[in-house]
Amino acid sequence: MISRERQAVPGGHVCWTYDDPESLADQAERHLAASLAAGERFWYITPQPSDQVAERLRALPDFAAAARRGAAAVVPLVATYSPEHVVDPATQVAAYAAATDEALAAGHTGLRVVAEATELVRTPAKLDVFTRYEHQIDRYMRTRPFAAMCAYHRPTLGDRAVTELACMHPQTNVEGLLFRLYAVAPEDGHAALAGELDMSNHELFRTALDRADLRPTDGELVLSAADLRFLDHRALTHLAEYARQRGATAVLRTPRSSAARLVDLLELPGVRVEVTP
Amino acid sequence: MRTGAAAGHHGYYHEAIRYASDDELLAVVVPFLLGGAEAGEPTFVALGERTGGLVRSALPAGAPVQFLSGGDVYARPAGAIRSYRQLLAEQLAAGAGQIRIVGEMPPASFGATWDWWARYESAINHAYDEFPLWSMCAYDTRITPPWVMADVARTHPRFATADGRHVPSPTWTPPAEYLRENRPIVADPAQAQPPAVELVDPTAAEARAAVRKADHGQVPVDEVEDLVVAVSEIVTNALRHGRPPVRLRVWAGDDRILATVSDGGEGPGDPFCGLLPASDGTPGGLGVWITYQSCNHVTWQRGDDGFVLRLTAGNTYVG
Repeated sequence: MISRERQAVPGGHVCWTYDDPESLADQAERHLAASLAAGERFWYITPQPSDQVAERLRALPDFAAAARRGAAAVVPLVATYSPEHVVDPATQVAAYAAATDEALAAGHTGLRVVAEATELVRTPAKLDVFTRYEHQIDRYMRTRPFAAMCAYHRPTLGDRAVTELACMHPQTNVEGLLFRLYAVAPEDGHAALAGELDMSNHELFRTALDRADLRPTDGELVLSAADLRFLDHRALTHLAEYARQRGATAVLRTPRSSAARLVDLLELPGVRVEVTP
Repeated sequence: MRTGAAAGHHGYYHEAIRYASDDELLAVVVPFLLGGAEAGEPTFVALGERTGGLVRSALPAGAPVQFLSGGDVYARPAGAIRSYRQLLAEQLAAGAGQIRIVGEMPPASFGATWDWWARYESAINHAYDEFPLWSMCAYDTRITPPWVMADVARTHPRFATADGRHVPSPTWTPPAEYLRENRPIVADPAQAQPPAVELVDPTAAEARAAVRKADHGQVPVDEVEDLVVAVSEIVTNALRHGRPPVRLRVWAGDDRILATVSDGGEGPGDPFCGLLPASDGTPGGLGVWITYQSCNHVTWQRGDDGFVLRLTAGNTYVG
């Protein structure tokens, strides 16, 4: 039951895409309020510390008061990510881990950031590295009191890039997104799949799995699929192949028995479906 | 080394029995089975309960003949092909020179679902041809409708007779030709109502949602999920390989859900599509095969205005 609840509310890692900076400012204010109420430290991270969102936050009495006691800050993007805006996933996760520890040491309950990260994904190469990082940081968030809203400017990036980013988050405001892959607590397996997997997003699914770079343990790659409404034979076949390349059997935990029947029917080696209640 | 009438034959030796009395059935089946047993050939019976019992009591005690549950084998054509092919492959691997089977379809197959069983009888001429199989399909002429008997004559190369002969069927039609024909489709009464959902050029996700919408608990959950899988595959095929418009209609019957998927194209080129997994990489072949495995009835029709598959979950209308 606890495990199920945790899956239903995967610790705050939101992909927020916006057209209008005002709507981002609204979200940032909302997160600030929630963060302060929860006793967290709050950062708004932006490439331009004087942008519209930063100015709106600074004008808030709550923000100003929190800033004076070290509970809130506008942090320039270069201070948290590398100056070239190319992320090294491991280094960046370590940086947020250190920042989370500092927040805890300073008496806060955790760290929450709203990060305007459009600059970091503006080329296909940057996008590829950053989506890999997104999954690594997602995994960190499942075990430590760190939460993030990653904000992306849709008109700058286009729908394809936005989709590739959004599907690596447990929560998003992107409409029509058919599936998501995100981290789970270690005892719940290696990752969760949610939504629907079919021909229309098969390439996206393959890309997401590659970027998540899942590492099996004890010869098994366990995927929690409580919120996966559908997957087709292509997705199952690919999961088996992905696990095989990593020397493991794919284990899919799903309440839907149709996946188990498909595996039997296709006599798919390398994948086991565990039908959960 | 093959024995009996099939001696010297390569591949599948497929016969039908037309019997009008129990004695006639036994006159063909008993020597067929005993001949197999004597030759040390794996010999199987997949008859119904009554005829199976009849044959069992006519055989000497301890005759090495195995009885399969006919009703389970003949639940769905693609499933029957799959399980028979597994059985045949096992026997061949164990060194069988010939395998003998006598089978009989449940009379419920002779109604509104006969179209896919007729396709089965034709397709197996190809599907079992890689095995040294001699099989007889028994039809009781007292209860089998004449149009079914006409299809039996077209799908079986020869008949085994009560007086021990094996005579060619004059109307025998090779499967590649027979399977390209349209079989008569019996309208399901549930289709007399307007469809609960009708979508033009839906995405596969929209098509799946339409099936779920027609689920009012009238069909077991597993069967609804299998229909969702099937409709998703067929709509995906139609969008990728067919011609627009792709049209999905879903009917919610009292004890079943029906879906038709049509497109303006000609349908799969492979005449065995659905009954056998596509071995030649026919586009979409695997999806159609999965559909045939997971729905309780699938009809197949090609017309001037395109290609249409009708899929049924729940209690199939048998007419």
